[in-house]
Parts: sequence; C-alpha cells; structure tokens
Amino acid sequence: MGRAATWETWKPDPGNPNQHVAMLVDTSECIGCKACEVACKQWNLNEARINQEPGTYQSHPHLDAETWTLIRFVERTNDQGEVEWLFQKHNCMHCTEAGCVTACPTDALQYGKYGVVTLDQEKCIGCAYCEQACPFDAIHVDRNPFNPRAQKAGKCTLCYDRITMGMQPACVKTCPTDCIKFGDRDALIEWGRQRVEELKARGFKNANLYGVDQLGGLHELYVLLEPPEVYGLPANPKISTWTKLWKYAVQPLGKLAVGAGIFGLAVNWVAARRAFLQGEAAGHGAGDHAAGQP
Amino acid sequence: MAARKQQIRKFTRPQILFHWVYASAWLVLVLTGMTFLWRPDPHSPAVGLGAFLQGSVGQWLRLVHRVAAVALMAAPFLWLALEPRRVLAELRELMVIRGNDIKYLLVAPLHYTFGRPPLPPQGKYNGGHKLNFWIVVLTFLGFVVSGITMWFFRGVVPAETFRLMLLIHNFCFWLGLGMGILHIYLTVFHPFTRQALSAMISGFVDLKYATAEHAEWVEQQLRSGQAEVREVPAASGGSD
Repeated sequence: MGRAATWETWKPDPGNPNQHVAMLVDTSECIGCKACEVACKQWNLNEARINQEPGTYQSHPHLDAETWTLIRFVERTNDQGEVEWLFQKHNCMHCTEAGCVTACPTDALQYGKYGVVTLDQEKCIGCAYCEQACPFDAIHVDRNPFNPRAQKAGKCTLCYDRITMGMQPACVKTCPTDCIKFGDRDALIEWGRQRVEELKARGFKNANLYGVDQLGGLHELYVLLEPPEVYGLPANPKISTWTKLWKYAVQPLGKLAVGAGIFGLAVNWVAARRAFLQGEAAGHGAGDHAAGQP
Repeated sequence: MAARKQQIRKFTRPQILFHWVYASAWLVLVLTGMTFLWRPDPHSPAVGLGAFLQGSVGQWLRLVHRVAAVALMAAPFLWLALEPRRVLAELRELMVIRGNDIKYLLVAPLHYTFGRPPLPPQGKYNGGHKLNFWIVVLTFLGFVVSGITMWFFRGVVPAETFRLMLLIHNFCFWLGLGMGILHIYLTVFHPFTRQALSAMISGFVDLKYATAEHAEWVEQQLRSGQAEVREVPAASGGSD
C-alpha cells in the first residue's frame, strides 16, 4: 500500500508511485544550531555565502540559489512578556500543487516520485518564473551572470539522490535533536497530530500541525508552537491568480485564437484568388475592386 | 512599345529602415520568446519543440531575446532622430480614427475575401493600417513595461507584480502575433493587397493600386503637387 507501519521504517519502492514521503520539523525541539544548513551545503556542494549580515542571529537573510535550507529566527515577546525565539527550518515545501512547476516552461521542475518536486538544473534556462511563482520564497535564481552556475534555479531537492537510495536527507541525518523527521507522509501526519496534542497538554495552546492541506498537501510538515503567520508562513498559500490566468487561460486561448486565425487566412487565400485574379487576364487592373471605387 | 506603369512614393527611406529594424527585432523576439509554448500541462514533460529549447539552448535564447528587445526599443528613436517632422506628421495621420476607418474595418473582411462590397475611400492609411498601428503601439508599451520590470526589477517589485507582468507580456504576445500574422499575410500572400509590399522595399507602390486602395491620399498628393511619381517597366517593382 505504500504506507509504512511507522514513518521511520519507510523505504523507497520505485514500483509504487503512490508512496508519499515528507519531512516533518518539530519546531518545539529545534535549538537553532544550523547544523542542517551546513549538512545541506556540504552534501549538495553549494558554496558558503557568509557575511550577509541579516542583522539577527539568522545566518542568511533568506534562501538563495546556493542556500537551500535556512533556520529562520523569529525574535518576539510572548504573552507572558518574555523575549523568546521561534525557529523555523525553511526550505522548499514540495507542494502537491506547486507554483514553481506551474510556471516552469521547461522540464527543469517536475512532480517527481514520492511527492518530491524535482529540479533538473541541466534543463533550467534561468528564467526565474519559478522564483516569482513560489508562495514560500523557497526557490531562487542568482542574478550574478559571472558565476558559472549562475542563472540556474536552486532549491531543496529533499535529497532526492539520497532518499531514492534508501538514505535520509542530509539535514535529517545530521540534526542533533532529531527534530527533523523523514519518512512516510501519512505516518508523519499521524505522529505530528499526536505531538500537537502532547504540546497542548503541556500548555502550548497555539500548537498546530502545518502543511497537511495547504496547496493540496505539502511534503514539508511543521509542528508549530504558534500560528503559521507568526513564523512568516502563509496560513492559506495559493498559486497566484495571475500565474493561473497566464498558464491556463491566456496561453491556451491564444493558441486557439491564432490557430483559428491562420485557418481563416487559408480560407481567405483560396477565395481571394478567385475574386481578385479573374480579371487579371482581361487587363492589368484590380478587377472587381477598382470598379467598386468611387 | 514596352508596357510601362506608374508608381507613387509612399514611404521614405528612414521610414523603411525603421520598419525593417523593428520588424526583424520583432520576429527574433517572437521566435526566441516562444519557449513557454511547449509545456501546456505542468504534470507532463514539454511537448514538441520544447525538448530542444532547454538548458543552455534556452539560456542563449534568453540572451538573444534581450539583445533583440534593445533593438526593438531603439528602432522608433532611430526613425525619430532621422526625420522628426515626418514622424510627427505620420503619427497624426495614424492616430486619428475617422468614420470611414470604422466602415472600412467592417467591410474589409468580406471585401478582401470576395472582392465586394466596395470599400469606403481611404487616406494614406486605411482602417486596417490604423488598427495595426494601435496594436503595435499598445503591445510595444505592454512589452516594454512588463519586459523591463521582469528583466531589471525582479526581486525589487513584489512577486505578485512580476506575475502580473508575465501575464501582460504573454497577452501582448498573442495580440501582437495575431496582428503580425495578418499583417504578413496581407502584404506577402494575399493575391491583391500583396502589391503593397513594394512600398516598404523601394518606397514606391503601383499608382493604380494606390488609387484603388487610398483614393483620398492619391488625389490629395496629385492635387497638391507633392506626389512623387515614377515610371517603371511593368515587370519591375516587386508589386506583381
């Protein structure tokens, strides 16, 4: 059935396309150590981009083409008047209905196996439509034209290369508190719901599980301590109406209209040859046409 | 006696140069911008030509697209620099839409298919030319504003603005492509109106044709003495 007994026992089964995996981040256990960021850079051979000075303890101001996962720091005063940090490991959400895949004009971005949104940089042309279509700001294209890898989109691949070989994603493997979990999606949702109940019982009354229903179901789930907006996550993310109109209305209607127009011109050509070339032999004139002129 | 025919000048050399710079840039932009056509369903891989336009090929197309975009944007200024007074005169002529132009547009589809009913008398530019002019101007503005926003202001403007610009760029594409195909058909393929093409090559068009199509303009040109008429052997001029 594609459903593992527990999320931990998940194993890739290429013969079963209905198998869906997910990554679940239990933010209540995250200590903001950024080991996941380092492991991600190391495994994916992404360059270090230091000294970006976001002005906080956060390592980078936002994700970029070579930074595929990032602990976002939310510093705030809670209800008890205490200053607290909230951490959210931000990266591609691997949406079931993804803005980036909708906007991509090539085969670079696709819905892959296990629910992963795959990115093939070889096919990417760097148009950055994906970057601008993503509701989570999770995929980027560099603006630097001198970097040989520039003008290629970059984002979390859910370590597709590792998970298809039965390994865990690099960030999951390295997490010292095991707050990043990976495995069968349904089982993780079940685990997440229990965890939320547990947290609520311990007094975290706003605890919630994020990613179950958003955009058809995300393959990145979060146990959050506060409502999603507090973390800068959209409660109800959507693919933009403009993007949908572009892809599903203007493009097909345009093709239809131009196709019909070309057909009309072909009909016109056949009819017009009869109407206008008949009089040619009689004299060098415009046939019926000139006769109609005042 | 060799058959000879009369031709009248319609376009000046700078105007012809402008037209072809604009037209070739436009064509390059259409061809290099068509990459998006080939993946109608995000759940499936690209179809048709799409398989060949990916990766470095697509990156080159994007570069060529931008070079051509600069040429397209520069073309009107080239003409304006070469003969500013004429540009203004032509714009005045093109911008004004009269009752006859509307009548022309209503009758033209039938007339150019069946040879009747007759067309209302037209000036230098008929209703179709004016429609073409307005679509060129509006799509030019749409392309330039949306294109420059996407090229230079990605990440500066909100993502929602970028997405709207993409939609506008695409809408202009279809509008412009439709008009462009009609324009090319009428001047290259249509059995009667293709006589007009010589005006955009040599600058001259067959006088009989001009009289039939642009009666008001020819009459005004001849009456005012502005008309530049020449005689050529019947076979030349590229109008047949």
